[in-house]
This record gives sequence, structure tokens and C-alpha cells, in this order.
Amino acid sequence: MRITAKKFALSLYESAAGKPASQVKLIVKKFVELLAKKNKLALEARIIMEFEKIWNEENGLLEAEITSASDLDKTMIKLLQGYIAQLSDAKKVIIEERIDKNILGGVIIKYGDKVLDGSLKNSLEELKSKMIK
Amino acid sequence: MSTKDFIVEQLKEQIAGYKSSLKEQTVGRVIEVGDGIARVEGISDAMMSEMLEFASGQAADKTYGVALNLEEDRVGVIILGDSAKIKEGDEVRCLKKILEVPVGEAVIGRVLNPLGQPLDGRGEIAAEKFYPVEKIAPGVISRQSVKEPVQTGIKVIDAIIPIGRGQRELIIGDRQIGKSAIAIDTIINQKGQNMKCFYVAIGQKESKVAGLVAKLEQSGAMDYTTVVLAGASAPASLLYIAPYAGCAMAEYFLDQGEDVLIVYDDLSKHAVAYREISLLLRRPPGREAYPGDVFYLHSRLLERACKLNPEHGGGSITALPIIETQAGDISAYIPTNVISITDGQIYLTPDLFYQGNRPAVDAGLSVSRVGSSAQIKAMKKVAGKMKLEAAQFRELAAFAQFGADLDKDTKAKLERGKRLQEIFKQGQYAPVAVANQVLIFFALTSGLADDVPVEKISEFEAGLHKYAAASAEKILKEIAEKKDLNEKLESEMKKLVEDYKETAEYLVR
Repeated sequence: MRITAKKFALSLYESAAGKPASQVKLIVKKFVELLAKKNKLALEARIIMEFEKIWNEENGLLEAEITSASDLDKTMIKLLQGYIAQLSDAKKVIIEERIDKNILGGVIIKYGDKVLDGSLKNSLEELKSKMIK
Repeated sequence: MSTKDFIVEQLKEQIAGYKSSLKEQTVGRVIEVGDGIARVEGISDAMMSEMLEFASGQAADKTYGVALNLEEDRVGVIILGDSAKIKEGDEVRCLKKILEVPVGEAVIGRVLNPLGQPLDGRGEIAAEKFYPVEKIAPGVISRQSVKEPVQTGIKVIDAIIPIGRGQRELIIGDRQIGKSAIAIDTIINQKGQNMKCFYVAIGQKESKVAGLVAKLEQSGAMDYTTVVLAGASAPASLLYIAPYAGCAMAEYFLDQGEDVLIVYDDLSKHAVAYREISLLLRRPPGREAYPGDVFYLHSRLLERACKLNPEHGGGSITALPIIETQAGDISAYIPTNVISITDGQIYLTPDLFYQGNRPAVDAGLSVSRVGSSAQIKAMKKVAGKMKLEAAQFRELAAFAQFGADLDKDTKAKLERGKRLQEIFKQGQYAPVAVANQVLIFFALTSGLADDVPVEKISEFEAGLHKYAAASAEKILKEIAEKKDLNEKLESEMKKLVEDYKETAEYLVR
């Protein structure tokens, strides 16, 4: 059977999670040797991606992206962090900020495969389609 | 108040009433697209057959898709429409609803594509209601047995393989021997019979469908007919959903307690389209490379044909699926499947067709499992033994070819059979009313046509109908209204036929 990157990442997580740093070093070394033996070193990038995903999920971490028209202040970000954590049941939310003048105002929140579009541009478009009806 | 103020006032009101709501949406990303199929990553909560929206191009013309394969970390989607606009990396949104089509009176008389968009250039469909294309068929509790007839206007079918309202009758045969013609004649004959008709063309040539629509319009049948067209150039995804979309539109009228006739022309091409989609989605192929669920594909569609009991509105959907066989092979995969699903089949043979017996219905292989309960009493009386007679005649005719010395009884059977075969011949677009059918079958079974030469039978029949229309309209009307025969009516009919025979100069006396 073909072993996917996801399965490699999962086995790495299971063997390394909760171990001290010295042991982890050994485990990673052995893991790389296994990859070399199985001729799967090319999967490296995808294994790292999958590993990060699994790590975040197991530890209640969530990466979110917030797009706004202008810079957000600290309290606002704190507030949004709490809001996202409440929505997604995550323990900790890591926020990546982006500025996009095109959305006019408000914010767009993206996390996982969910999108919350609270931008002024979107509201205006919704109003427009509603009035055409 | 001036118009300007009125508009401003309205605008203020509308904006005040508008509440922006924050909705959580699930989005994914296209990772592969081609052959009318897209593979989408993300959208982890997509549901089976859910509608998806591809956010490419302008907001005005969005492309839609339907989720068909839910895998561990990706979703296989069929694209409804132009897949050329979709690029790798495009955003895909879940719409949280199953594919819907517009239904209602507004679709009657129109030519639509399977998404309910008009193809006849007569503007948008002003429908208020939408029905999902996939629906679970009505259960046992809401059904009743089939008992009212669908008058096809085709003598051989109405006499020996009657179709009832709510029945599913398969029309099967090789290419080019008049399968669609039977369905079209049936639709034309539904005028004034309180029936809505749907013609679903799956993978048909658009020129053929255009000619057909013109014919329906000419005969006034478009007043109660809708054509759902997924032409030969349409993508496989549209061919696949076309019959379900047609059935959803029919179900609206079923819910109103009306009777509906729906023709699926043809389900072989539908199965081929589904095979294409399945293979592209990498589902394992089975017999003849069809996927494992090809039986369910047709059974769930045809099961939606039904006759509801009065407590549930009493409406009905009669389905006439069409299957094209290859060189008369009815034991191929799809024909056997559909034969086993339907309540009988009308089998057309090339031999009969080229001998000039048109419609080329094979009396031996064609059956209607509903039987005589789908006939009016008058027809039952005159045509009761006709199926047996027609089948016996073919057997005897094969014997008679050896020039055997035949006894009187056999000879009489042969002569009767020849006349019966002549009467069963019927031109296209020329349906015969049920009362006229009763009259001509009565003339045959009571022996009144025995002295008419076989080659004169068609002339005799045409003349009889003309004579009856001119001088005995009352009798025809009585048959049509009472739907039964009594001794008085029978003697009147006998007198009518005898009177007519007096006037026919080709009869030697």
C-alpha cells in the first residue's frame, strides 16, 4: 500500500509528541533514515505541512487570517482573537494580519476552510442584489 | 408626492430595513479541473449532491457544480456548464442546498435546459417555486394501484399493451425504427385528456428536437407540454441531471393532484453520460464499464413515477422511458436493468418495421404488467383476446409458409390475423380516438370485416371513421362518455358498419 505524506506526518507526531528534546533529535534522525530507505525524501515539504496541521489541531492552535482596510489596534485584535476562539473551539489563535484597501471597511476573517465576510464591500453588494430583487 | 421623492422615500425605507448579517461560509480551492470534472480541496463540510459555486469570472454568470465524490481530503465535483472559465486555485463556496429547478405553470410550453434556463428565446421563467432535482419517491402508504388509462391514440398499444396513469412503460428497440415517434404521438394525443406532458431529450441531436418542437407546436401540443433538452453537445453533467430535473418539474403537477406524462428519450445515453462521469471521478468500473450503482441510477428515477391515492391528491406521473438497443440485443446490461424496473415494455423490431408494419410493435415480446385494468370497459370487451390472436397469428403464419393443407378453423384464424395486422398499421402523427378504436376493433372481432379484402382494410377503416363522423356521431360520443358497451350500443354499431359497407364500392356482393 502507498504511504501518504499525511500518514508519515501522523506517525512522526505520535512518536515524537511529549518526548524531551534529546529523544526527539534521535526520533527525527531515525525518521529521516526511514524516508531515505523508502525513497520518500521528496515528500519532505508536504510532510512538514501535514505535520504542522496535525500539531496545531492536537494542541488547540488555530491559524487565522484577518483582512482589513486599515491597521487594527491591539485591543481590536484581542477581541477578534477571542471571537475566533469561541467560534472554532481552539485554545489559542495565531493571527496573521493583511491590509486590503479594496474591501473599504470592516474585516474578513479566514480560518481553516471557513470565511466570515464582514467587509463593507460585501454588505454593499448584498444590499444591491436585495434591492434589484 | 413626486416620483423622485417617492423613490428617495422608498430607498430610505429599504436601507433602514436592511440588516447586514455575518454568515459563516465554507470555502475550498480548485486543485484540478478538466473533462467537466473539478477536484476541490477544503470544503470539509460539503454534503453529497450539494450545490457548489465557483467564484470565477463575473458575479453575473457564476458557474455551479454538484459534489458527487466526498473523499478524505478532497471533493469530486461535476461542473454544470462551461468548465473553461474555471482555473486552478479558484475559490469554491458551499451553497448549503441541493440543486433546484424552477417549477410551476410557467414552465409549460417552454423549451428548457436541465437547470431550468430557457432555450427558446422567450425570456426568463417567472417561477415562484423551486423543487430539488433529487427526491425520494412516494412510499406505499401514499400510492394506489393504476386504474385509469393513458390513451396513446396508437391502436396496437391501446388494444394489446394498454398503459395506465402512473405506470412506467419502456419503449425499447434499435435505432431509427420509431421509438420516439410512439412517444410523440402519445403526447399529441393527450390534447383535451387533462394531462401535462414533459419530453426530456437526453443526448439527442438538437436539429431533431427543433423539428419535434415545431411538430408539437403545429399540432397544438405545446399548450400542455414542456421540453427539457440536454443536447448532444451538452456536457455529461447536464445529460446526467436532465431526467431528474424533468421529473422534479413533473412532481409539481403531481402535488397539485394532476396527471403527468413524462418521456425520457433516451436512458441509454443517460447511462453512458453517467458512465463517463463515474470513470472520470475514478469510481471502479463494472460490467460494460458502467459503475456499480447504474441500476440505482435508473431505479430511483423511475420509482418516482406513481399513482397517488385520493388522500394524497390523487395525481399521477406516467413515465415512458426509451432505451436504444444495439442490433436487437435486449440482454445487454442497461436494457435488462430497465426492463426489470419498468411495468412492461413495448418492443419494436426492425423486421416488422421494414415489412411495413408500422408502428413495428412485436406483440409477442411486448407486455404491460398492469394489463386490462388500464383500459376502458368498452375497449376491454372488443380487444380482450386480441393479444393472444396477434401472437397466434404470427406463429400460424410461419407454418402456413410451408404450404401445408390447412383446416377451416386455422384458415379463418389466419384471415382474421391478416386483417388485424392491417388495422394495427398506423401512420405517424395520426392518433386515433378511443371511440373510433372501439368501433374498428368491434367491426373486426364481430366478423363484419371478414369479407373485406386484406389490401382494402386501411381504406375500409378510413372510410368507416369518416362515415361514422358524418352520420353517427352520437354513437362515438356515447362510447367516449359511457366508456362501456351494452347490447343496444353494440347493435347500433353493427348497423353502422353494415350501412357503411353498403356504400363501399370495392366490396363485391
